[in-house]
Amino acid sequence: MSDATMNQKPRRGFRVSRGALPYLLSLPALLTCIGILIPFFTAVAYSLQRYRLSQPWARKWNWGENYLNFLSDPAFWNTLKVSLTYAFLTVGLELLLGLGIALLLQKRTRFNNFVSIMLLMPLMTAPALASLMWKLMTNPGFGILSYFASLIGLEDFRWASDPSTAMLTVVLVDIWVYTPFIMILLLAGLRSLPQQPFEAAALDGVPRLFVFWRITLPMLTPFLLTATLFRVIESIQQFDIIYAMTQGGPGDKLTVFQVEAYLNFFQSTNVGRSAALLMILWAITYILSNIFIKNWLRLRERQRGEA
Amino acid sequence: MEHTSTLEKILRGTAITLVILFFMFPIFWIFLMSFQTNETILRVPPSIVFEPTLSNYTALITGKLDTAAGTLEISFMKNLWNSLFLSTASVAVGLVLGVPAAYAFARLKFRGSEDIAFTLLSFRFAPPLLVLLPLTIYFQQIGLADTYIGLIWVYQLIVLPLILWIVRGYFEDIPADVEYAYRIAGHSWGATFRKIALPLAGPGIAAAGLLAFIFAWNNFIFALVLASADKQPVTVGALAFVTASGIQYGQVAAGIVLSILPTFALALYAQRYLVEGLSLGAVKG
Amino acid sequence: MSLQLIDIVKSFKDDVVLDGVSLEVASGETLVLFGPSGAGKTVLLRLIAGVIEPDEGSILINGENMDGVEPEDRGIGMAFQNFALFPHMDARANIASPLTARRESQTGMKRRVEEVAKLLKIDHVLHHKPKELSNGQKQRTALGRALAGEPKILLLDDPLRNVDAKLRFEMRLELPRLLKDQQATVIYVTQDYKEAMALGHRIAVMSGQGIAQIGTPEDIYLAPQNTAIARLFGDPVINLLDVVPERGAEGVQVRLSGTPVPLHQGHAASIGHDCVLGVRPEAIRFVDADAPGSFPVTIEAETPLNEKTVTLAITEKKREILISRPSGTPGPDRGQAHVAIDAGAALLFDRATGNRIAPASAAAKGEPA
Repeated sequence: MSDATMNQKPRRGFRVSRGALPYLLSLPALLTCIGILIPFFTAVAYSLQRYRLSQPWARKWNWGENYLNFLSDPAFWNTLKVSLTYAFLTVGLELLLGLGIALLLQKRTRFNNFVSIMLLMPLMTAPALASLMWKLMTNPGFGILSYFASLIGLEDFRWASDPSTAMLTVVLVDIWVYTPFIMILLLAGLRSLPQQPFEAAALDGVPRLFVFWRITLPMLTPFLLTATLFRVIESIQQFDIIYAMTQGGPGDKLTVFQVEAYLNFFQSTNVGRSAALLMILWAITYILSNIFIKNWLRLRERQRGEA
Repeated sequence: MEHTSTLEKILRGTAITLVILFFMFPIFWIFLMSFQTNETILRVPPSIVFEPTLSNYTALITGKLDTAAGTLEISFMKNLWNSLFLSTASVAVGLVLGVPAAYAFARLKFRGSEDIAFTLLSFRFAPPLLVLLPLTIYFQQIGLADTYIGLIWVYQLIVLPLILWIVRGYFEDIPADVEYAYRIAGHSWGATFRKIALPLAGPGIAAAGLLAFIFAWNNFIFALVLASADKQPVTVGALAFVTASGIQYGQVAAGIVLSILPTFALALYAQRYLVEGLSLGAVKG
Repeated sequence: MSLQLIDIVKSFKDDVVLDGVSLEVASGETLVLFGPSGAGKTVLLRLIAGVIEPDEGSILINGENMDGVEPEDRGIGMAFQNFALFPHMDARANIASPLTARRESQTGMKRRVEEVAKLLKIDHVLHHKPKELSNGQKQRTALGRALAGEPKILLLDDPLRNVDAKLRFEMRLELPRLLKDQQATVIYVTQDYKEAMALGHRIAVMSGQGIAQIGTPEDIYLAPQNTAIARLFGDPVINLLDVVPERGAEGVQVRLSGTPVPLHQGHAASIGHDCVLGVRPEAIRFVDADAPGSFPVTIEAETPLNEKTVTLAITEKKREILISRPSGTPGPDRGQAHVAIDAGAALLFDRATGNRIAPASAAAKGEPA
């Protein structure tokens, strides 16, 4: 009953104080964010202009030209390719690893709880600092990982500074930082599953692989979906790790959307192109985040319903 | 689970060991490095046997680096202070703005409240540069460029949605009747908020604050775009630090250790709430 | 303080919970709101308390319109079904909460809290937090909190619902005196008809989206508006038998197993119509085979229910009837027996609508609206 009573909408205009109260309470937060909405619309405008900081006199509306140019711009297609590759590689590998670790730690033992807390430490490390740590470890001069590589016969393995292994290196850092995120969400999911189906299956002697595919995975789907979408949205926007590691290099190997936009803005001072790039990224994340929020809401409802 | 074979136990043990090794080794190694001089760091092959030294830390704390080329001034402590100040102030502002709004969204459902709440949430997912780049130009115009106030304002982008959605969940968990009972007993709306809602949601508010602090501390891109050297937090500062000429690698490592310790400590303290915070209040740990 | 509800309409989303409810409660009266869950009893209480707003209609306290008056300004005490105690305050602070709102002096507050606690026999647990209290103590604390401010209007939302049977029995005896001492206008919500009968000066039976019948406990028991209400009151449940009234030698009568049973003579208008005869189990007696109006039944089962014994019997036409008699009085043997109906206590209902048909002469003397 209390739920229903909360959903009432005051139909009549009386009781000024009560009607205005929620607006008064949320107004400061809203105003703060509206200040942030204005730049968003400015960015839309920029993306429709020919605008270079170095040539302010030549600034003019060119409408869709920035976007049209992308069609024939190999740099843009490279950005799209690199961003998608990065997102798919990181999220795919993190999902597999995260699920595996969550399954390993599923039982609520003291040891497992301790390990799961320890594994949170990479997630609590600032991604930019994580990159720095890996930079120190992959330094060709003294990096411990470069030394390990040489031990298995990979002499002069240059990690992020080699075009062929740069992606691998940043993906590795991303995996190091964000796998615990997926692991901890899935672990919470696994531990919240009702026990009866598993007990019944164990009693009937159902093979464990079958249990995993037919019971565990389907029941875990909302958690998997939430974790995946969450990570895809973040990963396709990744900036910190890549910028701190190589600033998008070597060459254009790692110029993902936000890095490319940053370089366009601050190095080539091409504001129009930079804004147009970000608008496209925004469109992608907007679609993804809408799907995500729907899922997330369903999960939230379910989890709160049980609590 | 009775029929776990010895083979399976061995496989599990190996897997867990590998997992721990992969995720813990970098922290362990950087930690070791922070107690070494360039001399021992540059040894080939690397070894974990060395004479530990605190010189890296003392250099960072005093801000004076003695190198072959002379004495180098480093502002790492300033960066650390900036991180602390920016994160604390952002969280304080975020709580002052976010907690009442969260209460409004949870309790006093009003026209458009869901839409507004979701708009705020969607900020969490928009590319930060989309807002930051135009903002650099605006901030120049209104004089907020390279000020703490400007940075704290922009930090609300990460802090506010987090606080709003976690705290809202905690407010929703308080039975409405408990608040009704207090009002019927003769207390105003404001008194009910202070004496009932706030204390009962207290642990959630504290957890949201701690998490928001961690996220603000770990942020990189906002300060990279908007702050000059003397306003930069450790995430940005450390990057500049590594490219500085004549730097000792041990000092970079010590800087990293000092920068990640606060978030580790807080995370450990608030670990009970981490799952909930990381999922923006969707999943309870 | 009198209370008046005028044409209250309340819906949640598209679900109309209350549709035009009007009600008047006199000062000092105890009105019981009775009905199944979902009938809108709790919503009505919340509307009176002011924590939710009606879509239409007005609420008047002592003639004063409560539109726009905040809950804290209505001078109401309320006990919730789920207690709704403040979990972070001890029982003393819970009970004292109406007093702190008034900025009463520390000594006055202490005195009043202890007075109420003593009355409710919880003075020994005042320093306990709600989670350290038993259900009964929680219930008493909630009640104490509602009473402490000496409100002129007291809303009690099924306060005995979540307590054990023994305590419920005790409280059912204690509450009337307690409420009388308060001299408050009381609205008491319950789903238990015995509680309703024991506590209410009047009972409002809620069903559908409003009040189906309102009247004294006797009115409701003896003259229920329809078969649904007749079934809600009384344990064991009333016997409802399909009959068609006819004209017999002694006036209007119905036939049960072929035996003519005389009805009130005011029912002449119902002759030949499909009706339902309502007979309370205690209005059926075991009699000798040759007693007037007796008809044979087969005894199926007997259940002693404390002070009374209930017999399930089957008539020759295979209709089940329940018969109640005081425990210890002689009952029938197994197998065949004869029963007779106390014709004066029989009720007649229209079979199509379920509404009670009042006998013509009785209609004049105060039929409840």
